[in-house]
Amino acid sequence: MSALRAAESIVSVTDLYKRYGPVVAVDRISFTVARGEIFGILGPNGAGKTTTLETLEGLRRPDGGQAVVGGIDVRRDPRGVRARIGVQLQEAGFFERLTVAETLELFGSFHRTHLPVDGVIARLQLQEKRGAAVETLSGGQRQRLSVATALINDPPLIFLDEPTTGLDPQARRNLWEVIAGFRAEGRTVILTTHYMEEAQRLCDRVAIMDHGRIAAMDSPRELIRRHTPGTTVALTVMEGGAAYAGLPGVQRAEASNGEVVMTTTDPVVTVNALMELARDGQVQFQQLRVEEATLEDVFLELTGHLLRE
Amino acid sequence: MRAFLLTIVMGFRMYLRDRSSLFWGMAFPVILMGLIGLAFGRTESLTFRVAFVDQGSGPLGLGLRAGLAQVPVFIVSDVPDEAAALDLLRKGQRTLVVVVPPFGSPAPLRVFFDQARVQDSRTALVILERFVAEANLQIAGVKPAVEIQATGIAGAREVRFFDFLLPGILAMTVMQTGLQGVTWVVTGYRQRLILKRVLATPVHPFVFLSGLVARYAVTNIAQLAVVVLIGVGVFGARIVGSLGVLTVVGLFGALAFVGMGFAVSTWSKTPESANLLGSVISFPMLFLAGTLWPRDFMPAFMQPVIALLPLTPLVEAMRGVATRGDAVTPYLGGLAYLGLWGLLTFALAVWRFKWE
Repeated sequence: MSALRAAESIVSVTDLYKRYGPVVAVDRISFTVARGEIFGILGPNGAGKTTTLETLEGLRRPDGGQAVVGGIDVRRDPRGVRARIGVQLQEAGFFERLTVAETLELFGSFHRTHLPVDGVIARLQLQEKRGAAVETLSGGQRQRLSVATALINDPPLIFLDEPTTGLDPQARRNLWEVIAGFRAEGRTVILTTHYMEEAQRLCDRVAIMDHGRIAAMDSPRELIRRHTPGTTVALTVMEGGAAYAGLPGVQRAEASNGEVVMTTTDPVVTVNALMELARDGQVQFQQLRVEEATLEDVFLELTGHLLRE
Repeated sequence: MRAFLLTIVMGFRMYLRDRSSLFWGMAFPVILMGLIGLAFGRTESLTFRVAFVDQGSGPLGLGLRAGLAQVPVFIVSDVPDEAAALDLLRKGQRTLVVVVPPFGSPAPLRVFFDQARVQDSRTALVILERFVAEANLQIAGVKPAVEIQATGIAGAREVRFFDFLLPGILAMTVMQTGLQGVTWVVTGYRQRLILKRVLATPVHPFVFLSGLVARYAVTNIAQLAVVVLIGVGVFGARIVGSLGVLTVVGLFGALAFVGMGFAVSTWSKTPESANLLGSVISFPMLFLAGTLWPRDFMPAFMQPVIALLPLTPLVEAMRGVATRGDAVTPYLGGLAYLGLWGLLTFALAVWRFKWE
């Protein structure tokens, strides 16, 4: 199994270590990324996400450990790595007085071969801004241009560093579609984010990173299953009552101010039981909410603090 | 190669779209040339207005008046009394006032000049003194023991003020592009993480940086062309020497100062501070190196310092070629010195260069 994984993996990181002076930014992390998956690194600012990415991109030299990207050791041939990947950097600027098309033409020329500029512009829905100066673009358009520069050399592996930070929900959803499209084309994507929704919706696997270490790594579903108590069922009770903790599937029940909150391993069974109680007239309730646990809960559970703190 | 060429092409397009760099690179040198020409360029047509006050001297005064009128650079006008003549002098409408005493008076021939315009007045006085000396000799009937025979040599041209100024302005433009354009742009690219974005591609850093240098060479040629066209077309400056040699010398200077600009940009984090540092270096050079006026205007003890400034050999070479039609050969030593500056600062820049 592990041998097969290694054969399929496009990125393989072993005990990667990087520090800035006395501050350890990345503390001996290891992971592999399989060809064709969207791999997310989720964590708060300062967790070491960007440093990890920039080390894999060959922009920073690791102080320890090994990183092999596309079969190349990043320490040995960083430019060789950069020729095989697409990079979108967080907060990097553009030549403000070039147009969108000129920018892509210029960055395309920095690679050995590149995709037709107009095709990439269409992919990122920038046709209307093709001849507009970069300085006139909105935040979402700039971000799409940034992703376009990562796509221009038709790379099998794309690195996106907080691609949707600062975007409005609409622009964010647009970009999610584009990124999901990369996977559909067989490209591998490694992205960092501090939006748990983004990681949950977009990523096949997520590494949860905090203080330079990986706290957990798996598919979002599996992370939630393993690291949260389960689904929450909440109801507002009007009349009556029951031994909620004894209902099927329920692991824990708390009641306060007429609201009962249960955690359950099987929400369907639990809700069915509640409905039966209501039919029998044992309990009357007004509202029933079923809430899935999220990666936010996973993060809280694993690190003891919230993502956005 | 494509990356190198596109870096130049796109860089030049950005330059043409940037109003402030167009202003500093093209408009400012032209405006400066015009303003300096207005201030100092008047003496280029060498004529002096002389007020002649005859207080009743008889034949001597008449002879003097007639003689003065024959001096080609004097425009003589009669003014009835001394006070009115002095008034004209104070208003700057006359350069000299000549007052001839009444016949038989022991008073000398008196001459008044404008202290505010020492240069003009002295020149006019010297001419007047020579004229009077000659008149004295003739009146005494003495044949001068030594005579001057002045012969114009064909080919030696009169250098007018704009002829002198234009190559200085060209050298200044070359220096400013390096010390103020490059510093501003490169530091800005670094601060806004544009250099990092370039570094994240497989392009060799050397290709991009040399593209950037070449872009400034191209920009400089465009600037020099505009300044020359306006200098010649509007201000009537004349370039005697070869335009080709002038271009090559300018380009050489451009490369050297771009090197210095890169070096300066490694010392500053923000474009503002880089630009300031560039100005601190370039302005003293601009005023000392004989760019806008002859370097002899500076005191003697400054001359060794001036000789060491990297701008000085560029100004001298460009001026020699432009105004005297010199070949580049006599200036090669100075240009090599400038090239050494460029080489050393560029090496320093490469050594200290940071991408982010």
